[in-house]
Amino acid sequence: MSRRTLPYLWTLLFLALAVILSIAIGSVFIPPADLWRILTGSFSGAALPEPLKTFAFIITSIRLPRTVLVLLTGAALSGSGAAYQGLFRNPLADPYLIGVASGAGLGAVLAMSIQWPYSFWGLMAVPLASFVGALLTVFLVYALARVGKAVPKTNLILAGVAFSSFAGALTSFLMLRSTGELRRAISWLLGGASQAGWGPVLTILPYVVIGLGILLLSGHTLNLLQFGDDQAQQLGLPVSRRRALILMAASLATAAAVSFSGIIGFVGLIVPHVMRLWFGADYRRLVPLSIIAGAGALLVADVIARSVLSPQEIPLGIVTALVGAPFFLWVLRRAKNQGFW
Amino acid sequence: MFRKLVFPLFALALIVAGCSPSAISTPTPVPTLNPTITLTDGLNRTVTLSGPAKRIVSLAPSNTEILYAIGAGAQLVGRDETSDYPTQAASLPTVGGYSGFNTEAIVALHPDLVLAAGINTPELVAALEKLGLTVFYLSNPTTLEEMYTNLETVAKLTGHATEAAALVDSLKKRVAAVDARILPLNSRPMVYYEIDATDPTKPYTYGPGSFGDLLLQRAGGANVGSSLSGQFAQMSLEQLVVANPAIIILGDSNYGTTADSLKKRTGWEELDAVKNSQVFPFDDNLVSRPGPRLVDGLEALAKLLHPDLFK
Repeated sequence: MSRRTLPYLWTLLFLALAVILSIAIGSVFIPPADLWRILTGSFSGAALPEPLKTFAFIITSIRLPRTVLVLLTGAALSGSGAAYQGLFRNPLADPYLIGVASGAGLGAVLAMSIQWPYSFWGLMAVPLASFVGALLTVFLVYALARVGKAVPKTNLILAGVAFSSFAGALTSFLMLRSTGELRRAISWLLGGASQAGWGPVLTILPYVVIGLGILLLSGHTLNLLQFGDDQAQQLGLPVSRRRALILMAASLATAAAVSFSGIIGFVGLIVPHVMRLWFGADYRRLVPLSIIAGAGALLVADVIARSVLSPQEIPLGIVTALVGAPFFLWVLRRAKNQGFW
Repeated sequence: MFRKLVFPLFALALIVAGCSPSAISTPTPVPTLNPTITLTDGLNRTVTLSGPAKRIVSLAPSNTEILYAIGAGAQLVGRDETSDYPTQAASLPTVGGYSGFNTEAIVALHPDLVLAAGINTPELVAALEKLGLTVFYLSNPTTLEEMYTNLETVAKLTGHATEAAALVDSLKKRVAAVDARILPLNSRPMVYYEIDATDPTKPYTYGPGSFGDLLLQRAGGANVGSSLSGQFAQMSLEQLVVANPAIIILGDSNYGTTADSLKKRTGWEELDAVKNSQVFPFDDNLVSRPGPRLVDGLEALAKLLHPDLFK
């Protein structure tokens, strides 16, 4: 096995394991033997005995769609996180750096303050508003940070941070003034899948695929950007145009991911770091590895979120930070190549 | 062995038949086969049941209390984790609660009706509906009349119309009895109802539109929170000192607040209610859960506010 393929093998193995865990574990215990019969049965089309029908329904209609949604969300957040860190050459960068999360949160809470009719579009109001809010914020921050033709990195970060505080304050104010259920807004802001079925998966799939597809092709650009903007420009890279493209691609994937799953922190920050510590800083590898490992990591977090207090669920964002932070610190302490930035 | 049993059984059957000949000649009326029940719920959804629900999952404590009160408790197979009344509800399996519901656990119970309430999100209703479950969303009532209607609605869904009619009748009589004593009153004591005072300079109290406010007024009190905005209104200590309530009701007594702990708060010792020891603990579930126990709450509040009238 060559050194190039080994990291892929490890992360794919981790992802496969996470998918299996996510399908096998839930608040209803399904014996492994039954699980196997259901899975093989659904492929071969063999009829299942009556007592297994409920289990089969739970797996195909509840666990499978949720697993895929969480997988896509983790992939989008972690892939975008890797791209953002490369783009800003900043270890603190995560997909929410320039306001995607706060914009999405504001959109979602605004939509929740209105009593929508119970219909398809009424139920789509919150995810749609958060998606639009996230993208609008990124465009606004980008426009605010512009100086002449250039968009300096520092300006982007500062404009993003300032706008995030503004939107965050507005969100908190709206929540305090709302007469309705605060719980709904809080659980959205803390992250976690709220709608079931394949609808959400199919809705976000195109955006995540386009966004992550562009990021996967941008590895070389990100590598060049590590020399600094001037150097990259001299090497023939159209720096500002490429940066805008990567920024938009990462924001698109992130906005789609948060629209149904809420704001899940930390995955987009630490998974790229762990990948970098373990497998090096070449972005042609770092982006795909982060995507695979991020999907797996969020799946594991989701399994923990729905099994620790079963049948209650803990918001996913709490689990990612609670479990992710100690794990990351452990990796950081053990890392041999400390000067990796 | 077999023969030993057969004879006494046969004799017993004869005796039973002999004692109640009417049971043989006039059989009990045959129930109409699967009378379909169709109702519109709080989200304007049309919900159809093929007959009274037999396996019900309740997603709110108020729903659980309604179901038991109309005699449908035996049809419950699952509950949310805050459903703690009546006590036998505690033995039912839980399907989630405050931080989220587990659709998987609900499906595994094979309910023929999931009874949701105003505290549940439309997303949850949609998710359960997509899984093929029959969900009825019971809107939060805003008046006692609407609460009675809710009782009758749940009764229709579960086949307990007679019990519900009797229950509504007795609830109305109890409310009328309170009204009869309270309405002639000229003076109404100023009362402050505390929901939460984690920050004692800005406690929360019931404002207009809440059952807390409605019941306090109906029980013959002048609610300090009536002038505020929002069902759960935050009020500054300054306002409270100016209003100077004669009576303080501690809806947060379940969370450890007592008349003594109130005295230790800075600025609160100036209130008349504190000086005159007119501070009373109260079970907030009697006013916060929109079910039949609201009437218990009304009676208890009336007794607290006007002890001389209710001896």
